[in-house]
Amino acid sequence: MLAEIGLSALTLAFCAAIYAIGASVYGARRHREPFVISGRNAALLTFPLLLVASFALLAALLTQQYQITYVWQVTDPNTPLFYRITALWGSQQGSLLFWCLIMSLFAFIATMVNWRTNRPLMPYVVAYTMATLAFFIGLVLFLENPFSRYWITPDLAANASVPSYAFIPLNAVAPSAQSLAQSAHGLNPLLRHFGMIIHPPMLYFGFTGMVIPFAFAMAALASGDLSTNWIKATRRWALIAWLFLSLGLLLGGRWAYDVLGWGGYWGWDPVENAAFIPWLVGTAFLHSVMIQEKRGMLKVWNMFLVIFTFSAVIFGTFATRSGLVDSVHSFAQSTIGVPMFLFWGGMTIISVALILWRWNQGRLRSDRAFAGLLSRETLFVLNNVVFVALALTTFWGSFGYPILTELFGSIQGTLRQEYFQMVTTPLFVALFLLMGVAPLAAWGAMSARRLGRAMLVPLVLTGIALIAAYFLGAKTLGALFGYGVVLLAGFVALYEIYRGAEARTRGGKESLPLAFVRLFARNRRRYGGFIVHLGITIIGIGVLGSTLFQLETQRTLAAGESTRLGQYTMTYNRLLPGQIAEDGRLMDIAEVSVTRDGGSTVQIRPRHDWYPQAATGMNQMNIAGSYSSLEGDFYVLLSGWSQSDGASATFKLYVNPLINLIWWGGLILILGTVISVAPSERLPASVRERAGVRAGAVA
Amino acid sequence: MENGVQLNAPTKTRFYASIGLWLTAALLGVLLVAALPSIAQESTQPVTFDQVNEIARQLYCPVCPNETLDTCQTQACIQWRDEIRDQVSQGETPQQVIDSFVRRYGDRVLGTPQDPALRALSLITPFLIAGLALVVGVFTFLRWRGRPRLEQTAAPSGTTNANDNYRQQLERDLRE
Repeated sequence: MLAEIGLSALTLAFCAAIYAIGASVYGARRHREPFVISGRNAALLTFPLLLVASFALLAALLTQQYQITYVWQVTDPNTPLFYRITALWGSQQGSLLFWCLIMSLFAFIATMVNWRTNRPLMPYVVAYTMATLAFFIGLVLFLENPFSRYWITPDLAANASVPSYAFIPLNAVAPSAQSLAQSAHGLNPLLRHFGMIIHPPMLYFGFTGMVIPFAFAMAALASGDLSTNWIKATRRWALIAWLFLSLGLLLGGRWAYDVLGWGGYWGWDPVENAAFIPWLVGTAFLHSVMIQEKRGMLKVWNMFLVIFTFSAVIFGTFATRSGLVDSVHSFAQSTIGVPMFLFWGGMTIISVALILWRWNQGRLRSDRAFAGLLSRETLFVLNNVVFVALALTTFWGSFGYPILTELFGSIQGTLRQEYFQMVTTPLFVALFLLMGVAPLAAWGAMSARRLGRAMLVPLVLTGIALIAAYFLGAKTLGALFGYGVVLLAGFVALYEIYRGAEARTRGGKESLPLAFVRLFARNRRRYGGFIVHLGITIIGIGVLGSTLFQLETQRTLAAGESTRLGQYTMTYNRLLPGQIAEDGRLMDIAEVSVTRDGGSTVQIRPRHDWYPQAATGMNQMNIAGSYSSLEGDFYVLLSGWSQSDGASATFKLYVNPLINLIWWGGLILILGTVISVAPSERLPASVRERAGVRAGAVA
Repeated sequence: MENGVQLNAPTKTRFYASIGLWLTAALLGVLLVAALPSIAQESTQPVTFDQVNEIARQLYCPVCPNETLDTCQTQACIQWRDEIRDQVSQGETPQQVIDSFVRRYGDRVLGTPQDPALRALSLITPFLIAGLALVVGVFTFLRWRGRPRLEQTAAPSGTTNANDNYRQQLERDLRE
């Protein structure tokens, strides 16, 4: 029954999306309002329909309907309730359905919020969002159906594996529920971690959120309303989507650090890069839209950027789900590879064609010219250049080079961490330098002398901090240069916040604390942005510390024996083999004591987990134990032990200095984004109108 | 019997003793030669985990995607780490060990390609891309600078003063 409900809801949602496209476009082109309204209503209907389909699948997971193939693949009778819920996005079919649900939710909200304020754009917005949604629902319905079930047909051979079908074949019977339950796979052990529970939904929110700005941009091109309306309508959308992308990337890094057992958090893996590229391009877009809003410039560039972001989202989804990252040939063997490639190519070509059409008409000319090399708009353009270069070099390393070498050469070339570290490091340096200079530049012309004076205080603060860093252990030129560049960006952000608050205290009307509060309240976008920069700075410090000063060793210790690494002493106490967790996994746990010089002793328990029901190759995990502080982590992996009695065990030890600044910096980045997204204080209409005139004059 | 004279008892004892001595010496010699390889092995420095991992970190698992040999936990990677240990114990340098893996499994085990042409293609291309992006940016900037300005841009005296003026106006309006 649940499968029938889910299938019906999916089919209706697909039909509604297709209808919405046709009705909206027809109504807009022919000025037939009833069709426009009808198309809107059909688009709105997709969300409740997909909600029904998702609830049907969730109910099947919770009630252990193992005849449904997806339930059998991702759960088993021992799966705890919590993981049954998160299994909704635990594999391809469910995650695609979840993707459709979130996209329909965003389309619903965007339509409701903007219907009156951006009426000329909305039919086309509906058309583009529904086109994307219809494609993904089609993938789910026809290729990766989560409601297909196992059926035993009369002609099935005795030892053949039971096939699955979306609809009941003639004279088929369901397999025995007991045999299905006994053979069920269970959730991939790698996904049984809080990071992996939240990481996919965050990324999906980020990816699907980027569809809305894209749809508005295409609507602007299609409708001819090429003012800044589409940007004002979608600026917060883009920021919220970027927020979720950032969260998804941070959580993915945290998951890798906790679970993958290699002491790191970012491996420049193609799957990671598939999410990183849209983040890079999205960040460039968030910066350059400011130029269009304030100066009416970069209209064509912003259009390209938003298309590039959407294209990167679809390509990243295509690359990770089709097997392209394994081999350029395997993508064609995946059921969704070819359709996704065609959709990605088609949408990109149509979008670029629309831009060129309007550009040719002269509708995308800038309102102003660049005033000078040191103006904020010029530095923002440079910032965009670096972000796009980063995105393209990352794309080249993960996809371009492997695909080209396999298509035109005899081998599949691969580029790994060494390549990415080599080519991206100078670009990141350029980025941090721009973060340290651009906020101090003015819109319009600014002299080098004035810019230099503005940078004096941050430069002095950076110098002082570098002296402290030197005495704390950063003694190489490379480390000092890296810290210098990163710290400058942070001090500029702090200095600008301080300058703004200090300016408000002139005249004695506000105290400094009150000035800070009012500063953020009145200029959330600007000062929220500085908090984001501060978060990036702290992440940068953490990355530098954990990369340049990491210590690593591997030792075999007898029970009671100690070893030392850096300022930590570790003693191996005992092994607790064969512990059984509530989800049925077997754990071999080592108990070790760790003491930091001059500090207390803590007990940590690195362990090895084994999942009997999981598929070979995915049934073992090495979970680290760590002693964490703001200064860094002492990170321990259990590599091996004497099988009989655990009299000795082998450990891999890491000291990761400053690594926790990455997570704390991430939280600050999130805070800054939330501040930027929050609506500003509402002023009386007359004031807003006058302020708008004044803002134009001042800018 | 020497010169037809029969040996007396003490002479016999010395004779048999010398034979025994020679036989023992010969046996010891044989044992020593047989033991030479083990003695040579026992005198080799034990190879530490860190020495193995130092090399394994520079190699990638030919099977698992994007995992270095020092972290991969598959049986194949464990065996490959044992191979590294054996090679190091036999006196091979890290570069020799790496070269032997490349010979057997190809460039795939390394982070960047070794073929000069492919290496150039992989490393130079991104810088070409970055350079091209910069050229486009500079070209666009110069083109925009050359275009007659549609609107004169005010040259602000500084961000702080402009913001101060704007802020003061807002504060006055709020009090009205």
